[in-house]
Amino acid sequence: MHDGHLLEIRDLSKRFGGVVAVNRCSLVLTPGKIYGLIGPNGSGKTTLFNCITGLERRDAGEVFFRGERIDGLKPHQVARRGIGRTFQIIRVFPELTALENLLVVTREPFKVAHRRAQELLRFVTLDRLENEYAGNLSYGQQKLLEFIRVLMRDPELILLDEPAAGVNRTLLNELLAAITRLRDQGKTILIVEHDMKVVMGLCEKIFVLDYGEKIAEGPPGVIQTDTRVVEAYFGR
Amino acid sequence: MRWAVLAALAIGLLLLALYPLVATGYGIRFMLQLFMWVALAQSWNLISGLTGYVSFGHVAFFGTGAYAGAILVTTHGWHWGPASLAGGVAAVILALIIGYPCLRLKGPYFAIAMLGLNEVMRVLVSYFEGLTGGGSGLSLPTLHASGQIYYAMGAAALAVTGAAHLLITSRVGLRFMTIREDEIAAEAMGINTARYKLYAFLLSAFVPGVVGGLFARDQGYIEPISVFPLLTTITMIVMALFGGKGTIWGPVLGAVTLFVFQELVWARFLYLHQIFFGAIIVFVVLLMPRGILGVLQERYRLPRTI
Amino acid sequence: MGVTITPTMVGQVVISGLLAGALYSMVALGLALIYGVMRVINIAHGTLLMLGAYTTFWWFRLLGINPYVSLLVSLPLMFFVGMLLQRTLVARVVEAPELSSLLLTFGISIALVNVAQLTFTSDVRSVEFLTGAFLVGPFALSKSRLVAFAVAVAITAIAFWFLQKTKLGKAIRATSQSSEVAMVCGINVHRIHLYAFGIASALASAGGSLVAVMVAIQPEMGQVYTFKSFLVIVLGGAGNYPGALLGGMLLGLVEQLSSLFLTTQLSEAVAYVLLVLVLLLRPTGLLGGRAT
Repeated sequence: MHDGHLLEIRDLSKRFGGVVAVNRCSLVLTPGKIYGLIGPNGSGKTTLFNCITGLERRDAGEVFFRGERIDGLKPHQVARRGIGRTFQIIRVFPELTALENLLVVTREPFKVAHRRAQELLRFVTLDRLENEYAGNLSYGQQKLLEFIRVLMRDPELILLDEPAAGVNRTLLNELLAAITRLRDQGKTILIVEHDMKVVMGLCEKIFVLDYGEKIAEGPPGVIQTDTRVVEAYFGR
Repeated sequence: MRWAVLAALAIGLLLLALYPLVATGYGIRFMLQLFMWVALAQSWNLISGLTGYVSFGHVAFFGTGAYAGAILVTTHGWHWGPASLAGGVAAVILALIIGYPCLRLKGPYFAIAMLGLNEVMRVLVSYFEGLTGGGSGLSLPTLHASGQIYYAMGAAALAVTGAAHLLITSRVGLRFMTIREDEIAAEAMGINTARYKLYAFLLSAFVPGVVGGLFARDQGYIEPISVFPLLTTITMIVMALFGGKGTIWGPVLGAVTLFVFQELVWARFLYLHQIFFGAIIVFVVLLMPRGILGVLQERYRLPRTI
Repeated sequence: MGVTITPTMVGQVVISGLLAGALYSMVALGLALIYGVMRVINIAHGTLLMLGAYTTFWWFRLLGINPYVSLLVSLPLMFFVGMLLQRTLVARVVEAPELSSLLLTFGISIALVNVAQLTFTSDVRSVEFLTGAFLVGPFALSKSRLVAFAVAVAITAIAFWFLQKTKLGKAIRATSQSSEVAMVCGINVHRIHLYAFGIASALASAGGSLVAVMVAIQPEMGQVYTFKSFLVIVLGGAGNYPGALLGGMLLGLVEQLSSLFLTTQLSEAVAYVLLVLVLLLRPTGLLGGRAT
């Protein structure tokens, strides 16, 4: 691994026409931690995710994963290297059953995949719904399904885009517990989130974006008192 | 339960296999065309029902196969059997050439591109008169082989339906479907959608090519407008839709129902035939877009693999 | 080829191309409106053109009315026919997946063509009205093409004035950009769809009325114009109204130029090959339209 870094982003920039979405952003993730990525709406967080996972082509800068350059790779190639992500707007496969949603993303032999899938479904208590079409599940259930679907490929780095959005308290606690457990297993997680309680409570280190630029990084305590961060969210 | 279904299927196939022994010439030709439509509708289902990429020029593969097969029979003296298979290969080659760039297009653009492709093929075939007879068409040496072609068409329909079954009940088929469900999510989950789209496309081109070759042999004469008509594409689409696209038996059901209906209407109301068909299209699109099986699946919670 | 191509020939062909191009632009503008406002791909567009041609024909045949004057009747008539079609059928596939609109409009198309075959018979008709050509220098300008050009330009200009300057026109353009935002702004989007389809039908039928004087009229005549309109839209960019103008002129030029260098058969292919090529290389159009 490159200097012990799992993910390294150097001077990443991305513009859409005249709008600069990400502006020379650099950050480094070391393995086995939960990171947060916060910032006001439109600060470029999802765009950054998209650039990492290959959904968007960055205009400048580099992305390294385990020392290997991955910017410019196609999304499925990035996924195969061990990066998984969820989406801001849930993207399950509605006309596939919950079980099929999980089976379809892995190439492991059926028996192995099936067992894994059922384990994961049980993990989030969706097992009795395994043959239900994903489109018929409730919002919260779909959110959980999308979450465990990412885990089917056992990625090293997990990018979660607003996992707490629209989720009730109980479910949220389940999710947070799951995320913590993943971290304990050695996984690295980067969360985009607006819910400050979740971020401050869960993340060990937080990056703050504003207008596409990284304006601060550090543990929750430091971030909470950083004037630039406060200004970004609440104005001057 | 499964054994009952398999037994019914086996008996059905047996009856179909024995049918030519008792049937009239008309009967054989009727069934032969029915098999052809089943094969076409099912092939369209493989690409458009499964991956959601609407191939709106699918008859281009049929026409290509027809001409490839016919040319091999007339100019090179091939037997129509291998010639039809070669027609299928020609169709796949065409699919490979245009599939790779076309499948990168988004929905409506892909549909229009396929539409355009069909017209390009039609005009190209007309142009290379030396090879294809151009606008005056191509005649094959006379041969009365309806009986054999019946079995060949039947085999084609069976093969492609078998392929549909294998796909829809397997993970490969599921991957095709993720392209339809959410291509971006599929990519993010590690599925190489570009490759799978292409596979589906190539697969969907083969049987129309073969069936085109058989059609050419059966008709004994083909011309550009008879093997590249937009109406054929629409018909196979409506058949697949009516029965239920994305299912295994939907296209079969749709083809059988609509073909029988069309023959009845055509026999009685020759001049209103197209109006009827237009009405059916409007009916299916507006009122039954999920098709018969789709509605049954929803209403009675039937499995997806029917 | 044995025939040397002189500058005069090229000039002639360019002129013919521009004359024809205006017609294509006008007709394609209708198609652009339908797709831009409703995301509907109207395969029946050429059929509407055909109806316009037949209207002109019958006015001429039965009442002896000047084909160009009959526009005053056929335009409003087809406007209402368009609105009727939209209200009863097309409205249901607005912003639906492309398969629905393709199939629906195809169904409408073959039903209408069949009706035309039954009522008008498949006999080829023509309107003998304005024959001959003006001679301007070394160039021969077909009278009917010239008038068609003038009328097409006039109608297209009015259409653009309408889109740019009138409240309804602006509402149409707003809806093309985003029907959701338009609704929020208080625009009755359903009404807009009606008018847009009506206007588009009128534009298509105007094309039919103009070509009625120049080409053979038969129920199946529309299909080739549908394809050409598609090509114009693809060239100019989907949802890009000024792009339709450019695309139309381009198509006219390309068509005529290729007829100079290629056989008639191949020049027919040029339009289709161009369609596929542009889609593959620059699907958002030469001027850049919407990607979806």
